[in-house]
Amino acid sequence: MSNVKAIANDAPTGQQELKQKKSGPWREVWRRLRKNKAAIFGLIVILILVFLAIFADFVAPYGYDDQNLQARFQTPNSQHWLGTDNFGRDIMSRIIYGSRISLQVGFIAVSIAMICGGTLGAIAGYYGNKLDNFIMRIMDILLAIPGILLAISIVAALGPGLRNVMIAVGIGSIPSYARIVRASVLSLRDQEFIEAAKAVGANDFRIIVKHIIPNSMAPIIVQATIGVANAILSAAALSFIGLGIQPPQPEWGAMLNTGKQYIRDYSHMTAFPGLAIMITIFALNLLGDGLRDALDPRLKS
Amino acid sequence: MLKNKKLLVLLSLVLAFAMFAVGCSKPADQGNVDDPAPVAKDTLVVGQGADAVSLDPHATNDQPSSRVSKQIYETLVNQNEAMELQPGLAESWTQIDDLTVEFKLKQGVKFHNGEELKASDVKFTLERALQSSHVGHIVGTIDKVEVVDEYTVRVSTAEPFAALLAHLAHTATGILNEKAVTDGGEAYGQKPVGTGPYKFSNWVVGDKIELVKNDDYHGTPAKIQNIVIRNISDNTTRTIELESGGIDIAYDIQPTDVKRVEENTSLTLLRDANLATTYIGFNAAKAPFNDVRVRQAINYAVDTDSIVEAVYQGVGAPSKGPLGPNVWASNQNLEQYGYDVDKAKALLAEAGYENGFKTSIWTNDNQQRMDIAEIVQNQLKAVNIEAEVKVVEWGAYLEGTAAGEHDMFILGWVTVTADPDYGLYALFHSSQHGNAGNRTFYANPEVDKLLDEARVATDVAAREEAYKKAQEIIRNDAPWIFTWDGENLAGTAKNVKGFKQHPAGHHKLFTVYFE
Amino acid sequence: MHRYILRRLLLLIPVMLGVSFIVFTMMYFTPGDPAVMMLGESAPEHEVARLREELGLDDPYLVQYARYVKNAVVHQDIGQSYKTKRLVFTEISSRFPNTLKLAGLGVLVAVILGVPTGIISATKQYSLFDNIAMVLALIGVSMPNFWQGLLLIIFFSIKLGWFPSSGFDTFSHMVLPALTLGTSSAAIITRMTRSSMLEVIRQDYIRTARAKGQVESVVINQHALKNALIPVITVIGLQFGYLLGGAVLTESIFSITGVGRLMVDSIKSRDYPIVQGGVLFIAITFSVVNLCVDILYAFVDPRIKSQYK
Repeated sequence: MSNVKAIANDAPTGQQELKQKKSGPWREVWRRLRKNKAAIFGLIVILILVFLAIFADFVAPYGYDDQNLQARFQTPNSQHWLGTDNFGRDIMSRIIYGSRISLQVGFIAVSIAMICGGTLGAIAGYYGNKLDNFIMRIMDILLAIPGILLAISIVAALGPGLRNVMIAVGIGSIPSYARIVRASVLSLRDQEFIEAAKAVGANDFRIIVKHIIPNSMAPIIVQATIGVANAILSAAALSFIGLGIQPPQPEWGAMLNTGKQYIRDYSHMTAFPGLAIMITIFALNLLGDGLRDALDPRLKS
Repeated sequence: MLKNKKLLVLLSLVLAFAMFAVGCSKPADQGNVDDPAPVAKDTLVVGQGADAVSLDPHATNDQPSSRVSKQIYETLVNQNEAMELQPGLAESWTQIDDLTVEFKLKQGVKFHNGEELKASDVKFTLERALQSSHVGHIVGTIDKVEVVDEYTVRVSTAEPFAALLAHLAHTATGILNEKAVTDGGEAYGQKPVGTGPYKFSNWVVGDKIELVKNDDYHGTPAKIQNIVIRNISDNTTRTIELESGGIDIAYDIQPTDVKRVEENTSLTLLRDANLATTYIGFNAAKAPFNDVRVRQAINYAVDTDSIVEAVYQGVGAPSKGPLGPNVWASNQNLEQYGYDVDKAKALLAEAGYENGFKTSIWTNDNQQRMDIAEIVQNQLKAVNIEAEVKVVEWGAYLEGTAAGEHDMFILGWVTVTADPDYGLYALFHSSQHGNAGNRTFYANPEVDKLLDEARVATDVAAREEAYKKAQEIIRNDAPWIFTWDGENLAGTAKNVKGFKQHPAGHHKLFTVYFE
Repeated sequence: MHRYILRRLLLLIPVMLGVSFIVFTMMYFTPGDPAVMMLGESAPEHEVARLREELGLDDPYLVQYARYVKNAVVHQDIGQSYKTKRLVFTEISSRFPNTLKLAGLGVLVAVILGVPTGIISATKQYSLFDNIAMVLALIGVSMPNFWQGLLLIIFFSIKLGWFPSSGFDTFSHMVLPALTLGTSSAAIITRMTRSSMLEVIRQDYIRTARAKGQVESVVINQHALKNALIPVITVIGLQFGYLLGGAVLTESIFSITGVGRLMVDSIKSRDYPIVQGGVLFIAITFSVVNLCVDILYAFVDPRIKSQYK
C-alpha cells in the first residue's frame, strides 16, 4: 500500500504560473524540470520501463510462462540473471513482462480516478452549495474507509483480474482528485477571466472544459504522477494478499506473494520483484517531486 | 535538490544492500535455537493455522475447531490412528437388528461441570446435532434415539447404514451435557463442557485457546497439565516458531519446510498418509467435458508426478482413484492414468478435438491449488488446450461451481470417517449435484446404484465389493483428474513424546508428554 | 469550542450511516452465499436453506439494512459473527487494542525518526546529511511495506534471530511490525518537517531574531520549531489514520491478531457483520483522530482557535 498520497497534499498549486498563454509556460516548466537531475533520472527510469513494457517480447530472454520443472529455484546465474522461480520460470523475464501490468494498472487506474474524481470535483467546485456539499460528503465517506479494505471489498465484489483491480484501485483514489480539482475550481471560479467568459455567453460546460480544467492542470499532474506510484503499490498489495491479477500473469506483487513461501530458502524470489517495485516507485516519486518544483518555482529557493 | 553523483552512489548502495540480503540469507541457519534448560515443563504449546471457529461441535465443522474439541469432548466410539473402531464413552455396543445399535455407556463418567454422563445426554446430543445445519449431514441417517435406561441408549436409522459407527466417531458427535448447553445459551461455543481429558480454560479470541488437565477424568489421565493451542496462520512463521522453541508442536508443516525440519537435530518431523485428496474436477455437464474421452485425454495429458514433485515437494503421492489408501475399501489396484501425451492426443482427436479447445481452470486462492492450476495450464498446451487460470475467491468459487458455471476446477476432500460412503456419496452420486458436493455434475446410474446399495448393505464383503466396483467405474469415467493423496505433516520438538498423528487430522494431545 | 466539537461529532452520524450503507451494499452484491461459505464444500440444499433463514439472509436488501441500523441505534447491537456467533463487538474489541498499539507504535517510530531528521535536514539544507536523509526518505516512501516486512524477517528473525517474526505479546514482538509500518510515515514526516521548517526559517521574524544576535539553537528551538510543527501535526494525525488501514498487511505478515487481518479474513469468508462492524470501528477512530488533531491545532495556534465556532 502506498502512502505517497500524503506527499501530494503539500503540493502547492501552480495555476498562477499557467494562466498567461498555452505553450509558453509549459516550455518554461520543461526548462526548469530539465535542470533537475534527480527528476530527469526518474524520467529516464520510467521511459526505460515503458520501453521494456512495450518491447517485452523482444527484450525478455524467456517467455513469462515458460515453465521448466527441471530448473526450479535457480539462484542468479549466467543463464538466468535473476534466477528462476518455483516453476523454473526466468524471473528476469517475468519482471520485464510484469512492467506491462504494473504500468497499465498505474496509468489506467489513475485515469479512472482522474476522470471520475476530476469531474465530480469540478462540478462540486463550480456549482457549489448543496451539490458541492453532497458530493464532498460522499467523498468523505469514501475516505473514511481505509483504501486497502475498500479495494479488497471491490475486488471481492467484482472478482479478481487485471480489469477489476484497475477499477478497485481507481475508485479508491477518486476522492483525492475530487478534492484537488474542487480546490482549484474554487480558487478560479470568481476570477476575472471566468467572469469574462460568462459575460460573452459561454455555457458552464465550455467554461469548465476550456478554462477551468486547463488552468488546474498543474496540481493534477503532480498528483497523477504520484498517483501512478500509488496505484502500482496498491495493485501489488492486492496481489500480495492473493486478490489481484490472475496467474500466470507476472504481476510483481503476485511474484512477491509466491516468493514469500520460499523466502527462507530462495529469497531471490522475493528480493527482485520487490526491488522492481521499489525502483519504479522511486523513479515516479523523483519525477513527481521534480514536476512539483518545476510547476511552482516559489518553493525553489 | 540532489547532486546527481551522490544520488547515484546512494542508489547503488541500496542495490548493494538488497543484493546482500539475497546473498546472505542463502545458507540455512539453524544455530539460533538454544536448548532450553530441562526444567519440568507443564505446558504444551501447539501451533495451528487458524483459530477455532466455535467449540460447540454442532456450530461448525472445521478442522481447527475439531482439533481443539477432540481434547475436550469424547464420542461414543473412537477411531484410533489406524482407523479401527474402539470403545469410547460407550463400553460396548450390539447390533440389535439391521437398523438399530444399542450402546452401553461407561458408568461414573463426569462432565467438566460435575454432571454425570447419562443416556439422556446422548439422546440430547444426537437430536441436537440433527438440527444443526453444520453437522446435520453427518448424523443425517439417524432416525430415532431411544433411552433404554440411564446407561443404555439405542440409535436407529431409517434404513440400514453400515457406516453409522464411523459417523458416531466423528468429532462432530462428541457428547454434550444437556444442562451445560442450556445454561450456556448462545455463548456455549465459547465455554464448552465435555467429558474429555482436558477442560476448557481460556480463549484469547483470534490468538490462542488454553486447556487445563481434567483431574476427574474417567480414563487414563492426561500427562501434561496445560495445553495452549495457538493460531499462527502464516505457514512459514509457524515453522519458525517451532524452530525457535516458541511452540512444541506445529501442525501442517509445509512441504517446502520438510527438509528444514527433518534436518534440524532438535526437531522431529512426523509424516503420515492422511485422508485428504486433492482433485481437478471437470464440469461433466458441459461440453467438451461431457465426453468421457476428453476427460480421459486430459488425465493422460497431465503429469501428476511432476505436480506432486513441484507443488508438494514430493510429499504425498499421486492418486490412483477417488479414495486415498487410508480409506476403508479403497481400491488401490486401479491403474494410474500416467503421463502419455500421444494417447491424450489420440483420444482428443477421436472426440473431435484434435485442434484442442479453450477452457478455464478454476481454483480458490489456496497457494498449492493455484500452483497446480499453473502447471496444468502449461501441460495442457501440449495437447493444444488453452486453459485460462481463474483464481476465484472461496465464496464465489463455491457458488459458481455449485451453479455449474465452471469448466475445470480444483478442490480437495477429506474422508474424515475413513468410510467410502463419506468419500464417494456426496462427490459422485447424481442426487448430490451442486452445493451438496458433486460439483462435477457427474451422473452414472450404475455408480448411483452401487453407492445406494453399499450404503445400506449390512454384509461387509458385499459392501466392499460394491465400493471397489464403483471406484473402478469412476476411475474409467474420469470426472476428475485424480491428483494427489495427502500426508499429515507435523513437527515437534525433540523432547515431545507420545504424539501420534490421526489420519483425519484431529490429533489427540492427552498421550503427549515431555521427556 | 465545545459547540465545535459537538458539531463535528454530530457530523459523524451521517458519515457512519453512509459508510455502513456503502459497505452493506457492496457486501450484499458480492457473489458468494455466506451460508454456503459457513457450510463448506458439501452442504445439502436444505441445510443451506435452513442456515440462510437462521441468518436472516432471505429478507430483501433494504429490510436487512434497516434491521441493521435499527438494532445498532435502538439496541446498540451491531450483530453477531455469522461464523463464530460471537458478538461483533466482542470480536472486534478483542483485537482492536493490538491494531491501535501497532498503529500507535508505527506513528511513534515515524515521529522519532522523522521529526528530528526533518529539522536537522532543514537547518543544514544541501548538506551531506540533508541529501542522505532525503534519499532515504524517498526510498522509505517507495518501498512497499509488505516487501520491507519480508526483508526485515529475513534479516532480523531468520538470519540474526534478534526479533521474533510473529505474535504481538512483548516488546520484542513489536519491533519489526512497528518498523515496517512506521517507515513510510517516517519518510513522509521527514519531508514534511523539512519543508515546513524551511518555509518558517525564511520568515521575517526569524531573520529578526537572528539579527538581534540570538544563538542559532534558540532561534530554532524557540521561534521556528513551534510554528513549523503545526502542519506536521496534521500530517501525523493523517498518518495515524492511514496506518490504521495500513495495518492490514503488516498484521498478516507478522501474524498479529488485529482488526485488519480479521477484516480481510471476514471479507474472504463473507462474514458480513464483522466487515460492517470493523469498517465502522476504523472509520470512527479515524474521524476521532482527525478531530483531535484539529483541536490540538487550536491549542498550538490561537489564530485557528478563533475560527472554531
